Amino acid sequence: MKRFQSILVAAFVLLAATVYLLPVSSASAQSSASLSIVPRKNYTIEPGKSVKDTLTIRNLDAERPLELQLRVVDFTFDDDGGTPKLMIAEDAPQTTWSLKPYLTVPKSVTIAPKSSKTLDIGVSMPANRGAGSLYSAIMYSSGAPDGGNVGLSATGVTLVFATIPGAVDQNLTLTKFGAYNAPREGSKGEYVYATTQMPRTIGFTLKNDGNVTESPVGSITLKHMFGEETVINDINPNKSLALIGQERTFAACIKLQSQDVNFNGSASQTKACAEPSLLPGLYTATLDMYYGQNGNNTQELTKTAHFWYLPLWFIIISVIVLLLIAYFVWRIVSKVRGYSHRKAQPKRSTRRR
Amino acid sequence: MHHHRRAQFHEQVNSWHHVWSEAVLSFVLALLLLVAPVSAAQMRLQDRSLYIQSSEPSVSTSYTVSFRYMSPEPVGSVNMLFCVDPIPYHECVTPPGLDVSGATLADQSGESGFTILSKSTNRIVLTRTTGPITSPMSSYKFDNIINPSNTDLSFSIRLRTHATPNATGAQIDFGSVKGQVTDGITLETQVPPMLIFCLAEEVADNCASTNETFYKDMGTLEPNATLSAQSQMAVGTNATGGFAITASGIPPSAGTNVIAPLVSATESRPGSNQFGINLVANNAPAVGIDPQGIWANAIASSDYSVPNKYKYVSGDVVAYSPNVSLMKKFTVSYILNTSEDLKGGVYSTTITYIASGRF
Repeated sequence: MKRFQSILVAAFVLLAATVYLLPVSSASAQSSASLSIVPRKNYTIEPGKSVKDTLTIRNLDAERPLELQLRVVDFTFDDDGGTPKLMIAEDAPQTTWSLKPYLTVPKSVTIAPKSSKTLDIGVSMPANRGAGSLYSAIMYSSGAPDGGNVGLSATGVTLVFATIPGAVDQNLTLTKFGAYNAPREGSKGEYVYATTQMPRTIGFTLKNDGNVTESPVGSITLKHMFGEETVINDINPNKSLALIGQERTFAACIKLQSQDVNFNGSASQTKACAEPSLLPGLYTATLDMYYGQNGNNTQELTKTAHFWYLPLWFIIISVIVLLLIAYFVWRIVSKVRGYSHRKAQPKRSTRRR
Repeated sequence: MHHHRRAQFHEQVNSWHHVWSEAVLSFVLALLLLVAPVSAAQMRLQDRSLYIQSSEPSVSTSYTVSFRYMSPEPVGSVNMLFCVDPIPYHECVTPPGLDVSGATLADQSGESGFTILSKSTNRIVLTRTTGPITSPMSSYKFDNIINPSNTDLSFSIRLRTHATPNATGAQIDFGSVKGQVTDGITLETQVPPMLIFCLAEEVADNCASTNETFYKDMGTLEPNATLSAQSQMAVGTNATGGFAITASGIPPSAGTNVIAPLVSATESRPGSNQFGINLVANNAPAVGIDPQGIWANAIASSDYSVPNKYKYVSGDVVAYSPNVSLMKKFTVSYILNTSEDLKGGVYSTTITYIASGRF
């Protein structure tokens, strides 16, 4: 009997302890949602060869461990910008440029608070893989919380690009070129042919029908109607890419401003468009652009476009000047007419006599 | 008499017409003869390419430069100038780390007979006895070239052909080839690129801390009241391509019943089924804060940055930066409106915010 009692007490204590501890363990199961990752990886891999590399992930949370599930997904373009459209659905079809079959990553990782972990990853390219570009993304997902109407889950993504060298199909077509208002808060990017705002960027849109991502280089020369020239020496300072099949718009700053910044303890440099000093009037922009992969032909594209920069103050002054000219012309015409009229009148009166 | 004179005049003018047309024709032909060689001397070399055997930065490797001579003019020299910028009339900046002063001409095909006349850090001049072009498609392989050290920058070789054997005088053909070194691992090696991202109900500007709350109970749904909540996320990157944050997840649902999301930026209308978010301060209802941080290039997407207008489409980019961005904090506002005919239940959702680099 005593033995039965002690078993009962022990079971009760165990149950109580479980009930007491369960919410605690559930709460501690919620992962941190503060992380630092590598945003992009780039590889050049010959067919039949492989690359081994590492990914460093840091948990910025001082209290909770960072528990991440890793998976490789494909991505494509969202619009004419550089934002990846991740194909996160489990049944998403594999793209023709997918790196998934060749990329190996760990399935999960747990990182202690305020520490980092380095993961081994690898890319193995089969010997029969043709030249071109392949790309996919590694997603690091923290778990979903329990409770509430709205739960929050943080996911980080590393974009992985691989170039397989050889004879590739490079085919960029220039579809648009001209003064360009880059996207801002509350407005989308657009080409302008006449503008009252001083344009800060010259845009060019390229359609990539090849089998390789392309990063164009070159220059744009801006010429004012009275001959003043401004040269944009680097049309792609961020080394942005046109993905396979994408119609990508590149915005080149007329005046590029570089600034040294300290990002999380590391010196870095940021480049942004500054206000250029353009005179009002008609501008001619000439694009001279080059692209091409190692060992393939360097392709060149050229194009000329025109745009008007007519600030409001210039329009107002022009209208006032035109009105003044019209007024003076009218005064002169009136005076001439009055003079002719006065001259003609005495003659008629003479005839009457 | 008068009629006779007019006929004579017409006859004379007619003969002048013939003389004029012949003269104009001769003049145009003469011009063409004179101008044609000049324009031929300004042709672009075609099928230009550069093959770098090893694309590792700062290593000694071989370069193969190929192109097609276009003008039939005899060529005595080829000038190869290595610059960051491919444009022939721009100032030449030597690619950092590149050195071609030790280059040797290892092989040549097509137009051959060349030797290296002179070389410096960023220039090679090939010379031969001036001769006609008989095999236009040509290739020149150089050994012992030291690659540029900067993997961020592409570089170019500006090519010019000359009739003289020492690359002086007028150029005949010209063109540039583009190249880039990579280290086989990553393009951005000077400063390790990183993307910092954190998410919670409240976060510190630099992601150093959060309030550790990852869900929000918005209260009881009522047809004439708007439920609201907010969460925060901070983000920053030193990657040149910038970042993008995508929101994804199904709208609030209870079993098979779903509160319809706003598929375009719309005002809050109590009494109708609406779920939406935005990233700015609002007063209808009073919820949210404008993005915080001095970094102007990190912005909320246009559809999610209009005060008092809300939207939710799973997969939409809600904030981004086109280039390097120091830490910026975004406050996300959520609104929930319901109609009287909404079926009862506990409506919930998990919104996943995905922070990625850009390309």
